[in-house]
Amino acid sequence: MIARVWRVRRVRIGLALVGMLALVALAAPVLAPYNPVTQIDVVHARDLPPSFAHPLGTDPYSRDVLSRVIYGARMSLAIAAFSVAIAVTLGTAVGLTAGFAGGAADAVLMRLVDAGLAIPRFFVLLVVLALWNTVGPVALGALIGLTGWFGMSRIVRQETESVRHREYVTAARAVGCGTTRTLLRHVLPNVAGPVIVAAALGMGNVILLETGLSYLGIGVMPPTPSWGNIIWDGHDVMLNAPWISMAAGLAVVLTVLAFSYLGEGLRRALEPSAT
Amino acid sequence: MSVLEVRDLSVTFTTPSGVARAVDEVAFSLDAGETLALVGESGSGKTMTALAVLGLVPPPGRVGSSSQVRYQDRNLLGGSEAAWRAVRGAEIAIVFQEPTTSLNPVLTIGTQITETIHAHERVTKAAARARAAELLQRVGIADPTHRLDSYPHQLSGGMRQRAMIAMALACRPTVLIADEPTTALDVTVQAQILELLAALKAELGMAMLLITHNLGLAAGVADRVAVMYGGRIVESADTDALFHQPVHPYTAGLLRAAPRLEGPARPQTVIPGAVPPATAWPTGCRFHPRCAFAWERCAADEPPTLSPAPGRTARCWLVEEPDRRRA
Repeated sequence: MIARVWRVRRVRIGLALVGMLALVALAAPVLAPYNPVTQIDVVHARDLPPSFAHPLGTDPYSRDVLSRVIYGARMSLAIAAFSVAIAVTLGTAVGLTAGFAGGAADAVLMRLVDAGLAIPRFFVLLVVLALWNTVGPVALGALIGLTGWFGMSRIVRQETESVRHREYVTAARAVGCGTTRTLLRHVLPNVAGPVIVAAALGMGNVILLETGLSYLGIGVMPPTPSWGNIIWDGHDVMLNAPWISMAAGLAVVLTVLAFSYLGEGLRRALEPSAT
Repeated sequence: MSVLEVRDLSVTFTTPSGVARAVDEVAFSLDAGETLALVGESGSGKTMTALAVLGLVPPPGRVGSSSQVRYQDRNLLGGSEAAWRAVRGAEIAIVFQEPTTSLNPVLTIGTQITETIHAHERVTKAAARARAAELLQRVGIADPTHRLDSYPHQLSGGMRQRAMIAMALACRPTVLIADEPTTALDVTVQAQILELLAALKAELGMAMLLITHNLGLAAGVADRVAVMYGGRIVESADTDALFHQPVHPYTAGLLRAAPRLEGPARPQTVIPGAVPPATAWPTGCRFHPRCAFAWERCAADEPPTLSPAPGRTARCWLVEEPDRRRA
């Protein structure tokens, strides 16, 4: 199975990029030439163009942009990973329960999910975050995760519903497996493929979402760097110092692309019908 | 003494086109070490009967309130889910028709066999694995320790069915249900699997409920045969008696329809018509629209389970009016 996944070129490219990004995020203190929040020289070192000392220049507050982008990777990836983990856990739990139980439980849970999907997520987050004065990164990740599991639960429910009628599920019960064991050992591994694909694609989405919220000033709070607020820092001086917003913007594009390559590749490898 | 006794078993499904009576008033008993064959066409209720015996009727199916599945004189249908679980796999085990779909594709053979053991007994992982290897050896799989780590798709159809049998035998059940155990296999492998089942049955002293549409198979393996039609057992008898002197016209029709290799060539006979849907059984005897002997009484009243001879049953009015058979 691992060999089959590895044969897909998109998976290799996606994994290489994601791996590189993860490495940058983890090694941020080593890689960043400056402290990301230190204001180097508020009078003389504002909006400096790229140079050997500052490969990506400095921002209006005279901070090193490269260092901020590197630390921003750390923040964006950590928030995305945390919120996707929450969404996968909740979505899988609800989807498995609904799909396996069927009947009334299924109907009630799925109508709740429908309601969740019908509410525009971005505006819910906007309202909650605007009313909440200081949101830490953990709370931000949790909020994004808690509003993002509905789609996942539908995928899991649908897969569970089809796996539940397979003969090996009946066979598992016929050898004396209880409901929990049947679900976790026999059903869950067989629905894992689409979950993994959705999680990879979800990482990209969440990074975009977090960038948007931080750009609007209600996501990751300055001076803590995140790609969204770096773009904001540069947007006033876009014409004079375009490298600030562009550096962070390119980082976002690269990351979303990496996860989307990985997700698409995994889809091809794990869902034969998609090719 | 009977280890398994089924009384008045009914399974109904509520469908948009009405209530389907998939299994209706089925009764049989199985003595220790005995083989009973349940024979019938597709849709006659054989498999649903087997699932009901394990308490695994899929929703929205409902088991009748007066139905009883008695294992060693205890009615399982009144019991809890925990009581069922203790019986499934340990006391009554089942081998399904299609090993390709009844083995979980993402778990190794070893995992699936040891799972059965762990579900019923407190043993160490190593002990369970050793027993699983022993079981694979017993069902004739070469290099069993190595095969434990194989996934189902790495085995041939015959090997998979052998692995299924090993799984079913893991806790030495007293009753083995074999639901069309050879239907999905190559003809060359079918005989091997049957021989294996017969040998294991004798060795372990199990009773076997063999579900099949293949009369030849039933004749070769079973002590007694029960013929199902339209969700009911229409005739049951010792194997020899049933094959030499069928009482129910349906049984006789099935026997005539079976191809033969010996004797003079004769045209293949068929039973006219088709099995009606389970939502719309005909009034009276369910077989009467397809029966050559049917008269008014057959369309009006459903025959009860009658006894044409000691140890035999048949649901047919011909038992009471045998003269009509010659007419």
